[in-house]
Amino acid sequence: MKNRLRVLRAELDWSQAQLAEQLGVSRQTVNAIETGKYDPSLPLAFTIARTFNRRIEEIFEFGERVPAARGLAPTRAGL
Amino acid sequence: MSEQHPNPEPAEAPLEPLYTHPASPFLRTESTAPKHVDMPVLPGVASTWVTYRTQIEFGLAMLAYLMILVGSVTVIQSNPNAPWRYVVAVLPVVPAALVLSVFVRALTHLDEMQKRIQMQAFGFSLGATALLTFGYGFLEGVGLPHLSWTFVLPLMAILWGVGTAIFTLRYR
Repeated sequence: MKNRLRVLRAELDWSQAQLAEQLGVSRQTVNAIETGKYDPSLPLAFTIARTFNRRIEEIFEFGERVPAARGLAPTRAGL
Repeated sequence: MSEQHPNPEPAEAPLEPLYTHPASPFLRTESTAPKHVDMPVLPGVASTWVTYRTQIEFGLAMLAYLMILVGSVTVIQSNPNAPWRYVVAVLPVVPAALVLSVFVRALTHLDEMQKRIQMQAFGFSLGATALLTFGYGFLEGVGLPHLSWTFVLPLMAILWGVGTAIFTLRYR
């Protein structure tokens, strides 16, 4: 998943800690979501969307993992 | 003659409209977007308690456990045949239960990513402990000295800490 969390946060001039406080999670979790290393649960994604007054798909974008990175042919990636 | 004041008072100065000048490397520009969050500033003591509550409670419970353990062992050593020795011997379980309750409550208060990290760390420590104890068990079978069962829990705790560090770094 790709997301625009860092951009939206910068627009409001919030720190990661401030956003984390708003969401009720740790700062490390906000950081991991921003860097794409952790995908939030659906409830947390809705909370994030509500915090920024946007819809989920305006913030998160589903990006398939690149099959080449795992050494799989595209046709076999779905197996 | 001119009616324009060269330096109007700040109060009379027109409010600066949004984005009067573009971002420039020579001119200090600042976003006029409102800063939404007004974080309450807690006094130092309260924030320490809020931030480190679990650690403080855990430390106090462990301290109580160690004190009662030492006391219990001392009392039993000087009264090895007293009929109430079973009660005294089992007394350290009470503060240990306190430690457990603090621990479980701390787990329930973790956020979803921290829970996932802990789940992976527990899995790692369980598996690695099994691997190491079984491995040493095989070695005992061919003559290495017997180690006490009490080493298992500290080993598990150490591996849990190692696992937490590994899986925390993975999400950084």
